[in-house]
Amino acid sequence: MNILMGLFHILVFPGLLFVCIIGLLLAGVDRKVLARMQKRVGPPLIQPFYDFFKLMGKETIVPHAANKTAFLAAPVIGFASLVVTMLFIPVFGYSAFSGSGDLIVILYLLTIPAVALIVGGSASGSPYAGIGISREMVTMMSYEFPLIMVLLAVAKKAGGAKLLFSLTGIVAWQQSNGSGIIHVALIPAALALLLIIPAEVGTQPFDVAEAETEICEGPLIEYSGAPLAMFKLNTAMKMFVMTSLFTCLFFGGIDTGIVALNALILVVICIVLTILCMTLIHAVTARLKIEHLFKFYWTFVAGLALCSLILVWIGL
Amino acid sequence: MFKKMIADSMSKSPWIYHVNTGSCNGCDIELVAVLTPRYDAERFGFKLAGTPRHADIVVVSGPITSQSKERLLRTLEQVPEPRCIVTLGSCPQSGNVFKGSYSVEAPIEKFVHVDVAIAGCTPKPEAVIEGLYKAAMILKEKREAMKK
Ligand code: SF4
Repeated sequence: MNILMGLFHILVFPGLLFVCIIGLLLAGVDRKVLARMQKRVGPPLIQPFYDFFKLMGKETIVPHAANKTAFLAAPVIGFASLVVTMLFIPVFGYSAFSGSGDLIVILYLLTIPAVALIVGGSASGSPYAGIGISREMVTMMSYEFPLIMVLLAVAKKAGGAKLLFSLTGIVAWQQSNGSGIIHVALIPAALALLLIIPAEVGTQPFDVAEAETEICEGPLIEYSGAPLAMFKLNTAMKMFVMTSLFTCLFFGGIDTGIVALNALILVVICIVLTILCMTLIHAVTARLKIEHLFKFYWTFVAGLALCSLILVWIGL
Repeated sequence: MFKKMIADSMSKSPWIYHVNTGSCNGCDIELVAVLTPRYDAERFGFKLAGTPRHADIVVVSGPITSQSKERLLRTLEQVPEPRCIVTLGSCPQSGNVFKGSYSVEAPIEKFVHVDVAIAGCTPKPEAVIEGLYKAAMILKEKREAMKK
């Protein structure tokens, strides 16, 4: 029974199938809404599914200069780590795995997809990928620092005297004290996390690592066929994982008691967040330079997160 | 089931890679116009890919100058199967106004098989969309033939 339940968690909900489908759906919403914002008709909502299946049917080419094992393993590693991350994030009251240090585990797991991109890019042996991975590393360094501060602020607020690093604990705290977003001290942290999401996912103003018009999609340049499909899927899944992390940290107080209804509410909140922090920003801005991105995160976003941390520490 | 889904998706998400072989830039601008809000080729799933490895349809414009011929062939070799080659404008077909020049290798059919040829100098965006759409249908046929 327990094994069956575990398999169900990993393969269907909230694991593999759920993340893949909702992730691709979010990517579709993003493209469609973006098109409507630019007064276009836009692709159908399920366009990312078409893209995924098409890439699955293409020939996979491994370049001569590439290290075959690392080149083909990288997308799978990123994919697996995203599925595991989703298992740790509770859907309101319902979580597959829980422990006392979830938040720290998630922090590590979230870096793995980016590292997988770096490994894959460097294994492909292309100079464009070289530039791409150096940019990806800088992007990672820029958003990790404010992300840690945001998580610290929430952990401190929920735990009181000692830090609370368990996501289920944080959700339980929100259910008795109201969602994180209504606490004044956490509002700057929420804003900071909203700005971190597009960099983590790699959408328009922060997609310096995959700039397709200047360095031809950077680390992905040599990928084709199934591995490329996996990378595209990873990006879509990251959208869902990050927005549901946000929901868990700041909207955790909403709970209807019915798992299916909770999942539906989660999906709706994720769609709203995607439009707000990815599509809208994408539509109104142009790509930043890498040094501007670094500066933006270490001053403005880190400032917001620090602000929140101080407010929490003085007990507001 | 998966095979059918893959074959169906082939015609619904063609990614374009554009090779300029010495064109006068007229055709290139027209290809970009197809992606703008007015004509919006993205509603059929068309997307401009940055590298030949991601491409399904390779669009060739220009009269194939001697310098670019070798580069063109090398680029085409890097595109994964199934793929389609589309020529844009009259230049790659006949040489157009550049015909007879010592540095032009015009009819592209001499080196590669062309799936769809869009004629005109420059072709209208409507014609470009129609040509690309036909190419997308050919992609699906090629995929089905590949699996048999
Ligand atoms: S067909 Fe006409 S517009 Fe197109 S590249 Fe040739 S000369 Fe220029």
